[in-house]
Amino acid sequence: MQLTINIVVLAAIYALICCGYVLIYRVSRVMSLAHGELMMLGAYGLFATAGTFSGHPLIAIAVAAVLATMVGVLVYVALMRSMTGEAVLAAVLATIALGIFLRGAMVLVWSAQEQHPIRLLGWTNSAVSIGETARISAAALVLVVVTALAYLSLYFFLKYTVWGIRMRAAGQNPLLAAQRGIGLHGIYALAWALATFTGGIAGMLIASDTALDQTMIIIGLKAFPAALVGGLDSLLGALIGSLIVAAAEVLMIHYIDPLLADVVPFFVLLVFLIVRPWGLYGSKEELDRV
Amino acid sequence: MADALLVVEQLEVVYQRVITAVQGVSLRVEKGQIVALLGTNGAGKTTTLRAISGFIGMDDARVTEGTVTYKGERIENLPPHGVTSLGIVLVPERQKVFENLTVAENLDANVARVVKGFDRKRLAASVYEYFPALARLRSREAGYLSGGERQMLGIGAALMCAPEMLLVDELSLGLSPIMVSELMQRLLAIRRELGTTILLVEQNAQVALDIADYGYVIENGRIVLDGTPERLSSHQDIKEFYLGGGSTRRSYRDVKQYRRSRRWYG
Repeated sequence: MQLTINIVVLAAIYALICCGYVLIYRVSRVMSLAHGELMMLGAYGLFATAGTFSGHPLIAIAVAAVLATMVGVLVYVALMRSMTGEAVLAAVLATIALGIFLRGAMVLVWSAQEQHPIRLLGWTNSAVSIGETARISAAALVLVVVTALAYLSLYFFLKYTVWGIRMRAAGQNPLLAAQRGIGLHGIYALAWALATFTGGIAGMLIASDTALDQTMIIIGLKAFPAALVGGLDSLLGALIGSLIVAAAEVLMIHYIDPLLADVVPFFVLLVFLIVRPWGLYGSKEELDRV
Repeated sequence: MADALLVVEQLEVVYQRVITAVQGVSLRVEKGQIVALLGTNGAGKTTTLRAISGFIGMDDARVTEGTVTYKGERIENLPPHGVTSLGIVLVPERQKVFENLTVAENLDANVARVVKGFDRKRLAASVYEYFPALARLRSREAGYLSGGERQMLGIGAALMCAPEMLLVDELSLGLSPIMVSELMQRLLAIRRELGTTILLVEQNAQVALDIADYGYVIENGRIVLDGTPERLSSHQDIKEFYLGGGSTRRSYRDVKQYRRSRRWYG
């Protein structure tokens, strides 16, 4: 029972991070390798607003979420916009550079010390019992619920709203989308905003569940295999990929050796790249990306 | 003739900063007209249309000389969505539909020009009236459509942008003669009922001249001949090279010779 819960929680973490990778890849064919850092920036955003709006935790969270969204727009306008029309590799390298820059900047501003934004909000992360033997922390429970909500709303957004349809259209054929009056810069900025919003929320929740320090970047990196296993351009794939990677990781920790935890996602990724390189739900013709 | 809707003057387009695709194309389209732009493969027809409708970064192309004026406003090197929002919408030759989107989604995705009293639902309904075949395929993914259905969807989706002017690239490509003449009738109906101006690029000179009010012939990136359909279809060289038939066959060498002589300019 506890094992299942651990798998679900870890899968939810990866899935919430993954939808950022998937959204950006789907509309612009760019892999954002700064996602872990942007996620951490979102968590530090909560840390900052929790200090500013002490006593009003909800306001702090809302402001932090808005800030995370704005970071995405800013990243697009200031950096990625000039990369449209360039080779995809150039754009990917730009995101790596952005990641390195953010990592350094965050250490400079907030130091490498471990932080606990949840304490600043005045909340405690108590454990909730499920059944007789299993327990889940409150933050992890919220995380699972938020992930489910995020995926549901993204699904409905992409499937049924005009802007969601336009987003899919622009991802498929940017030139035709532009000829049909869709402003590509707006769509790309929207994708980045949604990615940093969900990523930021993931960062905040992970920081609330454990702590906020540099290791969060590694979590972001470990979610990347989950997205790739799923196929990178499919939300459903990301969800299932996260489950596979999380299950492998948790079972490995439980039955073999906890020290292997950080390696497992990449091991799963290797296996998938050999067996099914386009991922579970990815489009086969996209293979030239590797 | 100051009231022309679209005026292209001495257009020159360069790809990747070195390859000149068209040089010195001039043409004008009056409001409500159907104008045909004829030419063989690689003559510069598509490039001319793309130059009007706008390039995006990855095309790596630019209008380096000349002007494109739409309603008195210069539009060369505007981004495609800017041109579309002014009312000029392209139906491209290839990739005219979003293949993983359904027919209905293909119509919904478009951003319409700002017009008073615009009603997306009503416009979609009239698209389904022009192309009843699409109504039955509403929830089918566009990737599974036949060539003719794709062409209908391409035109229908372009109509959803509420265009004043349609640029249609190679309508007849890969379609049966019956389908082509049916689509041409639809274009006539669209012009008649919506007042849409149409610039038609074609290799198949016969079908284009059948419905056009005026025609241009482009070769090697230049306009070499223009006139009314009657004049063009009776022109000796058009008969020979575009319509088939004509007089005795000439050898390739004669053709080259004749191009060098630039007789068409006179």
